[in-house]
Amino acid sequence: MSAPEAIASGVRLARVELEVREWIAFDEPSLRRYASGAGIELAAPQRLHVAADCVTLSIRPARWLLLRAGGTTGAADSPVPSAVGACVELSSSLAAFLLSGPGAREVLARGCRLDLDTRVFPAGSAAATLMAQVAVTLGALAGGFLLLTPASTARHFEEWLTATARPFGVRAAGTLTFQELSGDRSL
Amino acid sequence: MPGPRRIGGGLLTSGGEPVNFRFDGRAFQGLAGDTLASALLACGVRVLGRSFKYHRPRGALTCGPEEPCALVDVISGDAREPNRPATTLALHEGLVAESQNRRPSLRFDLLAVNDLLGRFLPAGFYYKTFMSPAWAWERLYEPLIRRAAGLGRLAARVDEHGTPAETVHDHCDVLVVGAGAAGLSAAARLGAGGLRVLLAEADTVLGGGTLLSERWDPWREERVASLAGFATLRVLPRTTVLGAYGHGVYGLLERLAEPQRERFGGLTERLRIVRTRRVLLATGALERPVAFPGNDRPGVMLAGAALAYLRRYGVAVGERPAFFVNSDEAYESAFALHAAGVRCAALVDVRRTSPAAERARALGIPVHAGCVIARVFGRGGVRAVTVAARDGGRHVRVAADALLVSGGFTPVTALATQLGARLAWRGAIAAFVSELTGAAGATAGAARGVFGLAAAAGDGARAAALVAAQLGVTLPPDVSPAPPQDAAQGPLEALWEVPGRGKAFVDLQNDVTADDVRLARREGYEHLEHMKRYTTHGMATDQGKSGGLLGAAVLAAARDVPIEEVGQLRPRPYYEPVPFAALAGPEVRGHYRPKRRLPLHEWHESAGATFINAGLWLRPLVYGGAGWEPVLAEARAVRVGVGLTDVSSLGKIDVQGRGAAAFLDFVYANTFSTLPVGRARYGIMLREDGMLFDDGTTSRLAPEHFLITTTTANAAAVLEHLEFHREAHARHLEVAFTDVGDQWAQFALAGPRSREVASAVVTEPDLSNGAFPFMAAAAATIAGVSGRLFRISFSGELAYELAVPARQARSVWAALLAAGESCGLRPYGLDALNTLRIEKGHVTAAELNGNTSARDLGFERMLKKDGDFIGRALSERPALLGPGRLQLVGVRPVDRTRRLRNGMQLVVRAAPTTSLGYVTSCTPSVQLEGWVGLALLADGRSRLGTRVLGSSLIHGELEELEIVSPHFIDPENQRVRS
Repeated sequence: MSAPEAIASGVRLARVELEVREWIAFDEPSLRRYASGAGIELAAPQRLHVAADCVTLSIRPARWLLLRAGGTTGAADSPVPSAVGACVELSSSLAAFLLSGPGAREVLARGCRLDLDTRVFPAGSAAATLMAQVAVTLGALAGGFLLLTPASTARHFEEWLTATARPFGVRAAGTLTFQELSGDRSL
Repeated sequence: MPGPRRIGGGLLTSGGEPVNFRFDGRAFQGLAGDTLASALLACGVRVLGRSFKYHRPRGALTCGPEEPCALVDVISGDAREPNRPATTLALHEGLVAESQNRRPSLRFDLLAVNDLLGRFLPAGFYYKTFMSPAWAWERLYEPLIRRAAGLGRLAARVDEHGTPAETVHDHCDVLVVGAGAAGLSAAARLGAGGLRVLLAEADTVLGGGTLLSERWDPWREERVASLAGFATLRVLPRTTVLGAYGHGVYGLLERLAEPQRERFGGLTERLRIVRTRRVLLATGALERPVAFPGNDRPGVMLAGAALAYLRRYGVAVGERPAFFVNSDEAYESAFALHAAGVRCAALVDVRRTSPAAERARALGIPVHAGCVIARVFGRGGVRAVTVAARDGGRHVRVAADALLVSGGFTPVTALATQLGARLAWRGAIAAFVSELTGAAGATAGAARGVFGLAAAAGDGARAAALVAAQLGVTLPPDVSPAPPQDAAQGPLEALWEVPGRGKAFVDLQNDVTADDVRLARREGYEHLEHMKRYTTHGMATDQGKSGGLLGAAVLAAARDVPIEEVGQLRPRPYYEPVPFAALAGPEVRGHYRPKRRLPLHEWHESAGATFINAGLWLRPLVYGGAGWEPVLAEARAVRVGVGLTDVSSLGKIDVQGRGAAAFLDFVYANTFSTLPVGRARYGIMLREDGMLFDDGTTSRLAPEHFLITTTTANAAAVLEHLEFHREAHARHLEVAFTDVGDQWAQFALAGPRSREVASAVVTEPDLSNGAFPFMAAAAATIAGVSGRLFRISFSGELAYELAVPARQARSVWAALLAAGESCGLRPYGLDALNTLRIEKGHVTAAELNGNTSARDLGFERMLKKDGDFIGRALSERPALLGPGRLQLVGVRPVDRTRRLRNGMQLVVRAAPTTSLGYVTSCTPSVQLEGWVGLALLADGRSRLGTRVLGSSLIHGELEELEIVSPHFIDPENQRVRS
C-alpha cells in the first residue's frame, strides 16, 4: 500500500590523529603564493582540498585549517611571514572523527541542520556548524565525513554520535591514520 | 473474524492475525491492521469516552486523526499517555487503553449530573458563578473546576530511562503534504522531474480518499508503486505536518511503525524539521457535522467515517443505519454499506432532489428528500431518529442503530493560513478555501475546493507543474494512467443547524453548543476569535477540525451577517497533539547541554574530585570530602607551602597582526601597546554602556603577537565582542583572533614554595626573581614539553602559570606532582581558589556581574586618560559617577565566631529594610580568624571602618559586620613579587 521506507544502515566511526594549524591571511593573494611555494594548496571558500600530505579546509573568509598526519612535521608548521598572515597551532584544540558508511548521512541528519545531500554537499565541501549543541567543522570526503570538534567537547560529541549511530549498526573503527584519510577514496 | 460487526475483509485488516487487547479492563480481540476504534466498533462497543464538560457518553465521530471524542489513555507499565485518538491508535498485541474523563466508569459517570444541570452551566458560567467570596476562587472553586475538567491525565511518574526522542533534519525541493489523489499525482509528477520530493502522509497508508472506492484501487496502486522508482522522492507515511514556520521550515511528527520502533530502541515518535524550497499542500477536506439535538449520541458518526470503517477494516458501524446528508458525495457511504448487505433505515436529504437520491431509490433505499433529523433517541447509543420535513409538515420516527451525517466538506486550510494565505468563501461547496501564492508553493485538490477524486488528481498534476516551473524545472510529459472519471454530482445545499429542543453541539470535543455560540454573541463576543475564547470552541486537540466552520456559521446566523464576514478559525501549530518528549528531542537529562571536560578530567575523577558546572565546563571543586575542612586544607597548603590547580578552562585568545596592539588599546580600558614583549598585564574590558565586561591578563609573546586570557564563563562572549568590534570599528587594523582555549592546558602553581617546584620542571627560562619577575611571560620548556610560562597570581602568593599543549597535559601534571612531593604540594580545586582570591580581594563573576563599573570595583586608575576605548563615553555618565554607587569593600563579622553568607543584605539598624548593598562572595579564612567576604556597598569606600548589619532573612540571621579593605592579605603585594 505504501512505498517502501528504507533507512540506510551501516556506519563506521573512527578517530583520526591529526596535526592541525590554522592559517590566517592578512593579504590573501600573498598567502596563497606563499602556500603554493610551500607545496600547499589552500582550499577554495567552503571547500576541502585533499592532498597526499596535507588536507586544507576553508570555513571562514581568509582562514584555513591545515591537517596532516599526527606526530609529523611539514610545510604547514613553518611560520607564516607576518606581512601576509599568521599561523596558530591547534593540534590539541581539535578532535577529529571520520564517519563513513551508507548510513552516515542519516546519522548526521539527527543533529546537523545542513543539507548533506551529495548534490548539495558533495565530496570536497566544508562547513562550520553545530551538532549536539557543540561546534563542529564538517568536511565531506569521497567516502565519509570528517568531523572536527573542540577537544573539550569531544567526549560529549562522541557519546552523542555513538548513541545516535547505534540503530544504524555503528562499528567503532579505532584510530585512522592520515594516510587512510587522505589516500583511501573508498573510505 | 473477531467482532460481530465485522462483515468482510478490510483493506488493512484482510488476512490480519487476531490481536488481543484490553479496553477499560475488558479483554477484546481485533485484527492486525485495526485501530482501537475499528476493533471496538467491530466488537459492538459504541461508547468510547465521556464528553469534556457534560460527561455525556460519546462514540467515535470520525475515522481519522481529526477525532474529537474517542480519545483514550494508552497505558504501558507505569507510563500513561493521554488524549490518543482511538481512531488512529494502531492495535497491537497486549495494548491496554482506558477511556477518559469518567468517574468511576464509562458506563456510570457521577459527573454526568452536569448534563442534567446543563442549563445552569452555559459557556463562561464559572466567570459569573464563582465570583464571591473572592478568597474561594483560588482555594476552592478553581481546584474543583480543574479536577472536574480535562480529558486524559498524565502519568504521575516520569520515565527516567525511556528512550529519548529524535529530531531529524530533512531537506527537499518540494514538501508534498498529503498523499490522496492530488498529493499522489503531484508527488509522482515532481519525482518524474527529478526534484527532491518529500511526501508526508498522516495515514499509515497512502491514498487518502481513493482508499474509499474500489474503482480507484488500480490507479492508486500504480501511482504508489511508481513512487519507488524515483530516486529523489521519499515517502513518509504516519507523518503529520504540524505547522509551517516560514522561510520554508516545517515541523513534522512521524509515528514509527513497529519494526522501526524496535530498531530505534523503543522510540515511538520522531520530530522532523523540514527545510524545503516549496510546499505543495494537498491536505484534502474534512467532512463536517450538522448541529441538531442529539448530534453527539454514540452511533452518530460522519458518513465518510462509516465508509472508511467499512473499506479499511470491514466493519459496519450499524446494522440499520440512517443517513442525514446534504450532498451527493455523502451517498457513497450509503451505497457502499448497501452493497455490503447493510440495510439502510432511512436516507434523509435536506435537498428536494438530486441524481444520487434517484440512484438510492432505485436501490430500494428509503430516501426522505427535503427533510432533516429533528431528534435522536438513545442516550447510550442511537436507537431511533425523528425525520421531519423542512417545511414543518410530517414527523416520522425511524428505528436506526446509527446515524451517519454529512454536512459537507471543509478544505483543510491550517497550513496555508499559517503561511499567510487568505481565506475565500466558495458558495458552491459552502466552505472557505485558501490558495498559496508566490514563493511558498501551491495548493491542490480538495484543499483548494476541487472536489471529486479525478478532478483532484488532475489538480495535483497542475500544481506540480506550477511548482516545478517556479523552481525552473520543466516536467516531462505525463504518461501516467488516466484516473477513473468522477460521477456527475448534484449541488450541495448548505445546512448548518436544525433548530429544536436539546443540546445541538457545534464542537463535540469542548461541549460547545449552538446555544453557547448565541450566548457569546449576546454577551458581546461577536468576533469569531472572541467567541472562541468565551466558549472554548475550537480549542484543545480539535482546533476546529470537525466543527470549526459549523460554529462560525451559527455565529454568522446569530449576527445575521454572511459567513464571509465572520470568517473561519485559523489554527496555529500544532495541527495535532504532540508528545512533549518528541519536542524535547534527544537533548534531555544528561544530554540537556554539552559538557566541556578538562584535558585532565579523568585524572581529577580518579583523585576524588567533586565537580561543579562552570558554564559548560566541569571543574574540580574540591578533592576529598564534603564541608569546608578539605577546602581550607587545600587553601592552607597554598598559603604555607605550594598547591597546584588546573585552570585550563580559562578562556585563551591568540591575537596576531600588525594592528594587534592598537586594537587591544581600543577594546581594553587600559593600555597594552606599551607592554614590553615577555610581560603580562592585568586588563579590564568595558561593555559599550560603560559597565565592566571582563577581566584577565594579556601577555605579549612577540611584537605583533598577544595572548588574552578571559574568565572561564566569558570566553566565547569576549571572542564575539572582539570579532564584532574588529568588523564594526577597526577594519583598518590588521589583526586576527583565534580561540586557543582548548589548545593549551594551564596549571597554576602557587605558594611560597612554588619556585622550588617550578624550578624542578622548567628547564628554561631562569626562574630567579630578577630574571623572571612578577608579571613576566615567556616561552618555556616544562618537563621536556614546549610551553609557556607566566608569573601571574590569582591567589596572592608567589605563583606561576604553566601552559602546555593539552595533549601533553598528563605528563606535565604528573611531573609537577612528582616534583612537588617533597614540598607537600597539594592539588586544589575551585573552592580553595575562591577562598584564596577572596582573601586577596580579587574579583570574579560575582563582582563582575554586569551591574558594576570600573570605579565601583576600584579600577578607576586603570582607565586610560588618553585615547578612545570601548565604553569610555558611557563610563563617564553621571549615573556611574554620582554618589550612592555600590562599591567594592571587604566585610568581616564583628563576632568572629559568626559566619557570612553570599547574598546577605547590608543594612543599618536605623533603616533595617533599606538595603545598602550585599555580600557578593565569602569564605572562612585560612589566614585570618573567622569569615571574610567581599561586598558591594553604597558609597562603600567612605564607610571603611564603620559597621553595618548583614541580614539573611532566609536563614534568620542578622550579624554585625565591620567594613574593611577588600585586600585581607598582603595589600602591598609583597608575596607575589617575592
